[in-house]
Amino acid sequence: MESRFWTHQVSSDTESDEDDHSEVEEEAPIGGEGGAGGAGSKYLTQANLSDSDESDEKQRVVRSAKDKRFEEMASTTEQMKNQMKINDWVQLQESFDRLNKQLEKVIRVTESDTAPRLYIKALVILEDFLTEALANKEAKKKMSSSNAKALNYMKQKLKKNNKLYEVEIEKFRANPESEEDEEGEDDDDEDLDSGGDFSDEEPVTIAGGYSDSDEEGEEGEEDGEGGWETKRSKKDSMMDKQFKRDPSEISWDMVDKKLKEIIAARGRKGTDRAEQVEQLSYLARVAKTPAQKLEVMVHVVSAQFDVNPSLNTHMPIPVWKKCVQNVMIILDILAQYPNIIMDETSDVEMENETQKGADHDGPIHVWGNVVAFLERVDDELFKSLQCIDPHTKDYVERLRDEPLFMVLAQNVQRYVERSSDMKAAARVALRCVEHVYYKPQEVYEAMRKLAEIQARPDAAATETEAAADGDDDFEEEGKEVKLPGEVKGPPSFVVTPEIVPRRPSFPDLSRLLMDQLVSTIYKHGDERTKARAMLCDIYHHAISEEFHTARDLLLMSHLQDSVQHMDISTQILFNRAMAQLGLCAFRASLINEAHGCLSELYAGGRVKELLAQGVSQSRYHEKNPEQEKLERRRQMPFHMHINLELLEAVHLICAMLLEVPNMAANAHDIKRKVISKPFRRLLDINERQTFTGPPENVRDHVMAATRALGKGAWQKAVEVIQGLDVWKLLTRREFVLEMLKSKIQEEALRTYLFTYSSFYDSLSLDQLITMFELPEAHVHSIVSKMMIAEELHASWDQPTRSIVTHDVEPSRLQALAAQFAEKLTVLVESNERAFDARTGGGGLEGMSMGKRNKEGQDYANAAAGRRGGGDFSGGNRDRQGGYSGFNSGGGRSNYGGGRGGQNRGGRDNAGGSSYYRDQRSNQVGARNSNVGYQSTRYQDAYSSVGRTPYQIGSAASTGANRGAQADTSGRMVSLTHGGTRPSARF
Amino acid sequence: MTTTSTPMRSFAQAASAEEIVVPSRVVQIDGLVALKIIKHCKECMPALVTGQLLGLDIGSILEVTNCFPFPSRGGEEEDEVEADGANYQLEMMRCLREVNVDNNTVGWYQSTYMGSFQTVELIETFLNYQENIKRCVCIIYDPLRSGQGVLALKALKLSDSFMELYRTQVFIGEKLREKNMTWKDIFEEIPVKISNSVLVSALMTELESDAPASQCDFDRLVLSTNPFMEKNLEFLIECMDDLSMEQQKFQYYYRNLSRQQVQQQSWLQKRRAENAARRLSGEELLPEEDPSNPIFKTLPEPSRLDSYLITNQIANYCGQVNGFAGQSLSKMYLMDAFHQD
Repeated sequence: MESRFWTHQVSSDTESDEDDHSEVEEEAPIGGEGGAGGAGSKYLTQANLSDSDESDEKQRVVRSAKDKRFEEMASTTEQMKNQMKINDWVQLQESFDRLNKQLEKVIRVTESDTAPRLYIKALVILEDFLTEALANKEAKKKMSSSNAKALNYMKQKLKKNNKLYEVEIEKFRANPESEEDEEGEDDDDEDLDSGGDFSDEEPVTIAGGYSDSDEEGEEGEEDGEGGWETKRSKKDSMMDKQFKRDPSEISWDMVDKKLKEIIAARGRKGTDRAEQVEQLSYLARVAKTPAQKLEVMVHVVSAQFDVNPSLNTHMPIPVWKKCVQNVMIILDILAQYPNIIMDETSDVEMENETQKGADHDGPIHVWGNVVAFLERVDDELFKSLQCIDPHTKDYVERLRDEPLFMVLAQNVQRYVERSSDMKAAARVALRCVEHVYYKPQEVYEAMRKLAEIQARPDAAATETEAAADGDDDFEEEGKEVKLPGEVKGPPSFVVTPEIVPRRPSFPDLSRLLMDQLVSTIYKHGDERTKARAMLCDIYHHAISEEFHTARDLLLMSHLQDSVQHMDISTQILFNRAMAQLGLCAFRASLINEAHGCLSELYAGGRVKELLAQGVSQSRYHEKNPEQEKLERRRQMPFHMHINLELLEAVHLICAMLLEVPNMAANAHDIKRKVISKPFRRLLDINERQTFTGPPENVRDHVMAATRALGKGAWQKAVEVIQGLDVWKLLTRREFVLEMLKSKIQEEALRTYLFTYSSFYDSLSLDQLITMFELPEAHVHSIVSKMMIAEELHASWDQPTRSIVTHDVEPSRLQALAAQFAEKLTVLVESNERAFDARTGGGGLEGMSMGKRNKEGQDYANAAAGRRGGGDFSGGNRDRQGGYSGFNSGGGRSNYGGGRGGQNRGGRDNAGGSSYYRDQRSNQVGARNSNVGYQSTRYQDAYSSVGRTPYQIGSAASTGANRGAQADTSGRMVSLTHGGTRPSARF
Repeated sequence: MTTTSTPMRSFAQAASAEEIVVPSRVVQIDGLVALKIIKHCKECMPALVTGQLLGLDIGSILEVTNCFPFPSRGGEEEDEVEADGANYQLEMMRCLREVNVDNNTVGWYQSTYMGSFQTVELIETFLNYQENIKRCVCIIYDPLRSGQGVLALKALKLSDSFMELYRTQVFIGEKLREKNMTWKDIFEEIPVKISNSVLVSALMTELESDAPASQCDFDRLVLSTNPFMEKNLEFLIECMDDLSMEQQKFQYYYRNLSRQQVQQQSWLQKRRAENAARRLSGEELLPEEDPSNPIFKTLPEPSRLDSYLITNQIANYCGQVNGFAGQSLSKMYLMDAFHQD
């Protein structure tokens, strides 16, 4: 639209005073709407016709500041035209040079990189003339030498020059008449412009289709420079006029119409979002009925949400605040007029619903969803907290807005409860819960206090604030109230008294609030809402030191099982709850539980990611930017973070307390029973260091403590652990440290007993008491527990107050025998493989199979050996080995029989006969050792279950029938072999 | 002593024995020689020592009438030591001849540790001796086992069939089957007989104490079983490791073999197809064997010698354990009975 004006000015070379122009136009602002609509559209088509292609170049050829340059250029062109007429090439050449210089200036002024149309036009004319002159050879001959020289010069220069502007020239040639058209059209335009204020007022919105994206940017720039100011002033003046105008002149229809127009423009490219908000809020002021006001307000709020286009950045904070106020107003209206029903199902197209005045009885339906607004407001708050640097004052300021949100949420909740939309109420409650759950009582108290402070000067402060924020909203209202004589609908339509409370009401205890909210959710919420509420509840219980309640909630809800199927943010919440639960357990000195809660979190080494408290760089898989963005969006705001150092310290200390005695207990084979893999890994790394300096971070501290504890130096361990900085984050620091000390003492005692008990015949209780500075009863209970758990092979000797140890450690000979047995199995296994390789083609494939089977036997053997525990166990063992071999062999031959039978009977028979032989020999074994029999049977059932799918898989993979058959037969033979061997050997 | 008479007789008999090959023989060791061997081996106990056996080969009886130890090898350079050893041996023989003692080499003795003697070196040495002396013997003494009240003296020789096979240096499965040789057939144990001259016997009777039991008898009653069993088990474990290694070699070989066979098959098929095409077009057929092709090169089968030896060794250990366990058990029962009384 603007561009259109400018084009017209260029061509006419007159500078019309645009401001005056529009001022005049404003005379009939809305009144002329009816006509303006039609005229506007007509204008639109014209504009599209004429402007579409040239708008780019022309748009900024003449701007007040640039006019001079353009004028110069135009005059030069005129000169050139004259010179052409007299065929003066010398002069023409000079003019051309001058024109080029001017072009540079023009371009500099306009800050565009394309040459103005004027210039192109001159070029075209010049080119045409030149070709003409060149074609006319006679005339050329007649020319004076200097003239001819100039002509030649021109020819070369123009050729070179024109190359730069080829595209433009082409364009111009293709569409030379557009200019001429314009001349006539411009007049129309002017008429049209004066016709309606809309065409002037919302040029951008209405003609939004014409601009493309980069132009939008440029436009923005220009707006900053000057264009915006003029427009703004225009607008203001328009507003003023409207204010001055009788409000009675504004009818419901007018508002409705305008509203529709604005809404139509919403979301289009080039729509100035901020401006839209302004226009809408203006409309809200002049709305005729409460219902209409409500409708407009709904749109205001949506428009405010639109102000921020990007998903990644947050809504500007002032806009957010205004938005909250607006939603409040909506609630006010809804509260004042209970007959107005707001829902998303009401037909948007339903005309005139909002025309019904306040006195209308019967329901009025307005489209809108307050809960959605609330959620959006919450999201924006969350997002802004994500984005703002947490170490600045801004962040704290932003946090102070939380009570404001809570008010809103409470009001919305009251409203939805009134309209008995309990689902929505649950949603709202969840939002509240998510603002409360992570606050310990102290923080909650602080928030309450803050809310009270904010509320006390509330009446005045919020009013003024709202007045300031609400963009003269109230002022305007006041004005209108002042004119009671003019009745233009019920006067109350504008004044929306603050019905809903503007201050939050918090119960004294955060627990109370939580209970209240959570019970609503449990009653009415959907699955996800309930799950989230439950997690928040657990979290809150955990931070208020109620471990058992929290744990019971977690276990009863079975959230651990279902959380994998939930959305990521819920999973994060789950992780947070688990982390908090772990910390809680730790504070309650439940080391095992704490470790259970935390170990999973630390298993992958991605704690930061799991808690959404920072993006951890992974070396192995690069994230693409899209994923990174998503992850960034999930991040927790800083004030909700769980301190990672504390978490790590707690996790590692728990692991240490469990792992050190465990390692001491299984000193023979350290790999057997690992409680905490991450801890073991850290310990390995630590042990590999050639030089261990004094501890610096949490890990170092715990590792140092671990080493000390392993040696029994519990004092040192305590010292190191208590030296950690993170403890000052705990409220009950002294208690926790005391607890830690006693735990470390206990575990040191256990470790000591595990490590050294085998070197003692007896240990004195008193000695232990002094060594570990533990009370007697405590030592007694620990030692007794270890005895009962068969961790310590000893017994009490009460009269002498000492522990008598029994030597049950395996002797060297036994250890060697075990080792030898192990070696034997390896040998047998590889023997079998070798045999397979000889007999069947598929022997190599069967390798892993055979191995698995063998392992099964081993376990069975080991189990039997443990139970038998005598000289006879040896004998039993072989038979079992044979038996299990038979069993699996039998199963296998059944399986392979189906296939092998039809292919190769002979082979199968051989297998079968050996199978019977085995059976006979093994039956004896089975009778002999009942226990072993059962255990092997179990073992076999187990291994055969594991085996079948594998077998199918291998058969399928071999594909060829022959191969598969050979495979099975080979294995079968190998198995029967395995079955016979042990009995043959012994 | 009967030193003067023996060579006379033995010479005559030896000459006759050369014609008749007597398969089974007895090694008859002089009591003095046995004692010398025991003394030498026991004194240098942790180290393994060797010495030369001197004596006569008379028919089916190999008499060992004298011996001398080789100086124990210090940790010096091997060449020097070896040269020294050879020189010492020659010198010793010369000296012995000069004093007119038996100086006919019939073999050597060596000490061993828990019967771990079945090595390739032993075989090599034996074959070396065998080249010069048709009927040589190796006497093995185990000082540790002797500590238990047993005279752990063994006379060994390599079986003829093995020696034959060893000379060809092919120990592949087929050959072994052909010869029908198992791991048991490598060594042959020859019964040892200890003989004393009449004078010595008389002296012994004279010297015999009145005590009903000798030190040896007491040794036999030692109840400590663990060290011996442990040692045996350790050796067994070692052997298992070695055996596993050998097995791996075989597996590797078989894998390669099967791969090669597949390759050969595919090559043959290709060649046959090509030949069929050639036959159709009337061209000359290509040979179905292509010795120059690397896939037809036969893969060397790993030697079975090591696994045979290891198996032998294992059998030896097992035998020891078995024997020992039996004895120990009876000792235990004995002790039990004593305790009950």
